Amino acid sequence: MSAIARGLGLLIVATAPAWVWNPYHLHTLIMAGIFAVLALSLNLLLGYTGQLSLGHAAFFGIGAYATGLLTVKLEWSPWIGLLAAIVLPGAAGYVIGRLALKLRGAYFVLLTISFAGCVSLVSVNWMDLTNGPLGLPGVPPLEIALPGLPVLSLRTKSAFYYVVVAAVALCYLVCLALVRSRVGRALVALRENETLAASIGIDGTHYLVLAAVVSAAMAGFGGGLYAHYTRFVSPEVFLFTYTVTMVIMVVAGGKGTLAGPVVGAVLFTVLPEALRAATSWQWQMLLYGILLVGVLFFMPEGIVPALRGLGPAARRRWSPS
Amino acid sequence: MSRAIRALSVALAIVFALGEPTAQAQDAVKVGVIEPLSGPVAASGNYVRMGAEIARDWINAKGGVLGRKVELLIEDNKSDPKEAATAAEKLIVRDKVPVIMGAWGSSMTLAAMPKLAEYGVPMVVETSSAASITKQGNPWIFRISPPSEMEALGLEKYLKEFGIKQADFLAVNTDWGRGSVTAFGDLLKKSGASVGAVEFMDQSATDMNAQITKVKAGSADTLFLTTSVEQITLVLKQAQEQRLTRKVITTGGSSSPSQLIKQAGAAAEGTYHILFFLPWFPEAMPDGKLAKAFVDEWAKRGHPFEGLTEGFRGHDGVLTAVEGIRVAGKAEPKAVQEALWKVSVMGLNGPIKFEKDGPAGKESGQSKPSIFIVQVKDGKIALPAFAAKK
Amino acid sequence: MDQLLQHLLNGLLLGATYSLLGIGLTLVFGLMSVVNFAHGEFYTLGAYAAFAALTLASVHFFLAIPLAIVAGAAAGAICERVLLRPLRGQSIDTVMLVMIGVWIAMQNAELLGWGGVAKSVPTPFPTQPLVLGPVSVAPLRVFVFVVSGGLILGAHLLLARTRLGRAMRATFQDRETAALMGVSIERIHTVTFAFGAGLAAAAGALLGPVFLLYPSMGDLASLKAFSVVILGGLGNFAGAALGGIVLGVAEELGAGYVSSGYRDAVGFLMIVAVLLLRPSGLFARAERVG
Repeated sequence: MSAIARGLGLLIVATAPAWVWNPYHLHTLIMAGIFAVLALSLNLLLGYTGQLSLGHAAFFGIGAYATGLLTVKLEWSPWIGLLAAIVLPGAAGYVIGRLALKLRGAYFVLLTISFAGCVSLVSVNWMDLTNGPLGLPGVPPLEIALPGLPVLSLRTKSAFYYVVVAAVALCYLVCLALVRSRVGRALVALRENETLAASIGIDGTHYLVLAAVVSAAMAGFGGGLYAHYTRFVSPEVFLFTYTVTMVIMVVAGGKGTLAGPVVGAVLFTVLPEALRAATSWQWQMLLYGILLVGVLFFMPEGIVPALRGLGPAARRRWSPS
Repeated sequence: MSRAIRALSVALAIVFALGEPTAQAQDAVKVGVIEPLSGPVAASGNYVRMGAEIARDWINAKGGVLGRKVELLIEDNKSDPKEAATAAEKLIVRDKVPVIMGAWGSSMTLAAMPKLAEYGVPMVVETSSAASITKQGNPWIFRISPPSEMEALGLEKYLKEFGIKQADFLAVNTDWGRGSVTAFGDLLKKSGASVGAVEFMDQSATDMNAQITKVKAGSADTLFLTTSVEQITLVLKQAQEQRLTRKVITTGGSSSPSQLIKQAGAAAEGTYHILFFLPWFPEAMPDGKLAKAFVDEWAKRGHPFEGLTEGFRGHDGVLTAVEGIRVAGKAEPKAVQEALWKVSVMGLNGPIKFEKDGPAGKESGQSKPSIFIVQVKDGKIALPAFAAKK
Repeated sequence: MDQLLQHLLNGLLLGATYSLLGIGLTLVFGLMSVVNFAHGEFYTLGAYAAFAALTLASVHFFLAIPLAIVAGAAAGAICERVLLRPLRGQSIDTVMLVMIGVWIAMQNAELLGWGGVAKSVPTPFPTQPLVLGPVSVAPLRVFVFVVSGGLILGAHLLLARTRLGRAMRATFQDRETAALMGVSIERIHTVTFAFGAGLAAAAGALLGPVFLLYPSMGDLASLKAFSVVILGGLGNFAGAALGGIVLGVAEELGAGYVSSGYRDAVGFLMIVAVLLLRPSGLFARAERVG
């Protein structure tokens, strides 16, 4: 792709708040960005190790609650909350990874679902900790408070848009670095043929745990962003629909690629809103389901690989982008 | 990376293109409505919507408001707080509504509240019962439904007649169920009764036998039930199966006793229900003529009778919102918000007038709705003897 | 003691329905490797089909159930033929996502068609419970238990004793050889999926009258079905049957003696325990899970 087109694209993304005058659309883009972070995180597991986590909403939710609780109940700085939103889910990811040890495929899926189910129930029932179904309203917005300078509040949409763009770029780069490194090659080797990989000394469990930790930490980061944007955290963050949405974004976007989850996130955040604008409420979800089936039917590898002209017969290389 | 940016730009272009609001009648005054129209509580959300539509049609038949027709912009919050917030944003920013009614469930309302404060648009809360909604210090909230504490107070005057010594609680595991348990539990303790078992069930659970078995093993004389009409039906049927003989009182106003009789049959016999609208005795409502007209119109439209106990909320909500616009003299959010404090109108439930609630300086509005109790007797709805005298 | 007996009875009745849900899914998930998130939707379809037959066509109650099974199986066959067969070579995730799309579409179509109001199914059984000493149970639930047992037995016989069943087992053990032996692989896939969908529809038609009908009733059913499949072991028919009972009883006892709020956690924790300690399922012989 020519440098001019690339530059133009970057310019469009970078200046969006200036010309997207409708705050509702900016809101949609911000949500798309948050989901892009989530999709990228799920892609690490699903696309690169081949293991599907259907409990990813759990890491998202733990991140949201981590920062929500610290900033609302203890009144700590949101940046510390955000840090906790990365570390705590990462630790949970470590636990899951180690627990899973020898589990693969469907068994791993069920383990992640069960984990998410348990965490969800805890958030609803452990009233003293999480406020239960009442949720945590009043989560403070992010702000930059450097000594000597006036406080720069990041509560406005335009400001938060840039936070999200920076977050997506950061996560993208992390994924890129991981995938291009030795770790990345090992992950792909595991995905393609674990027995063979083991025979040349690649320890499947070790790399799976690593992928799980990074993936969970990133999803938690997304949860933290969500908490400071919507400023309300409730047990609904653990809803299965969030996980399903993430999976849709990754698989329909193109798993195993790095652009796929981002494209998927934008498309499947914009799509429900487009349907909201285009049709009355009775038809929205029905059309959504039909469109989903349609997209996969005609582009089973995902949108990004289809755009690149890779057919189902082509072997999927591990090269990013 | 380049592909991603290109695809992203395309997506942005789509979003940009969708930005143009569809050409709408310049005349109409728009009122936003956010309800759960799909998902587990779709039935309730749709009943509220139906009631809202009747209110709209009646208002328009009388000439509308400020010489213009009223138009309802109805959004589905899919029983998800995130969607409720997005719907609020869309209604406020894209459709520029001066007032909203919603969002049914307490967490959905709570999620939409920051948007109301951000843009300065008032919302009439028609169903949510969580106390925190009016205690947050959000001056854009005006609630016409009772919080659980108020509902419990409504029961207070009948407490002696019930003669409750010990009560068990079975509630849905949401803010509504838990809030109800706390509110009614406090009421009982204040009057010298004690609280027995407190059990919960998941919103989508269908088998409550374990909880019923536990309740049966206790020694309470009354069971308070707080959940949707579907789960109440199941609990009553399963209680009948286990031969549980207790006085049952349902709270929350959503229990639709007519539907219970139809679906639970003999299992519903003798149960009491706290409601906010009595479609069987419209004359007993504060404005009997209005109530009767509403019940008739509802039937004329072919809506299920069972939905009336919830549908009235939609009517009262829209009525209040439009009255706010009328008093304000213009369809402008800040003016409507100030006007809502001056609104005094007779709804289906009774008089609607807002009092201050919450932290000083940022109070929300809370009206004091009427509370009623009915009983299922001989397969029909009856006003219990002690409540029959109005 | 009475409480315990009632809990156990509740658990048994509940477990039988879980078993019925599980065996349909274990065939599809375990043998065809299709992560069928729409399994609960065939359950819902069966329930609404029975309801339609009873209320719109005034069919007798005992006839409505077989009709519902046929409807479910037919829907399953169509789904397999139209959606799954063309995607045969695709990754398991793509197929899973297609089934998610089917799940969303079916549920919302039902919402559109029937409305969100819950419906109750009229049954010819008396509502007075049968009293067996310290415990009591509704006659309808006994009927459901008996029929579930019969269906499970019937399905087992079909798989174990008939030619079709043999062909199914052969296909999933070794496709190439089965094809060489004259088995039509395409047909077997369609039949297997239809079989699973039919069993789900049966569960729906049976449980519809016990509970209520509403469009999202299948979500919980799907989740329980997947739990049962893991407990019993993928593709393990007898395991799923037994696993359902185990899950039902465990949930009842957990809700009764530990906490009703955390009721579902019992199921989850059991799954976690099984996965960590005996991943091939409680009732399977040792097998690779990787």
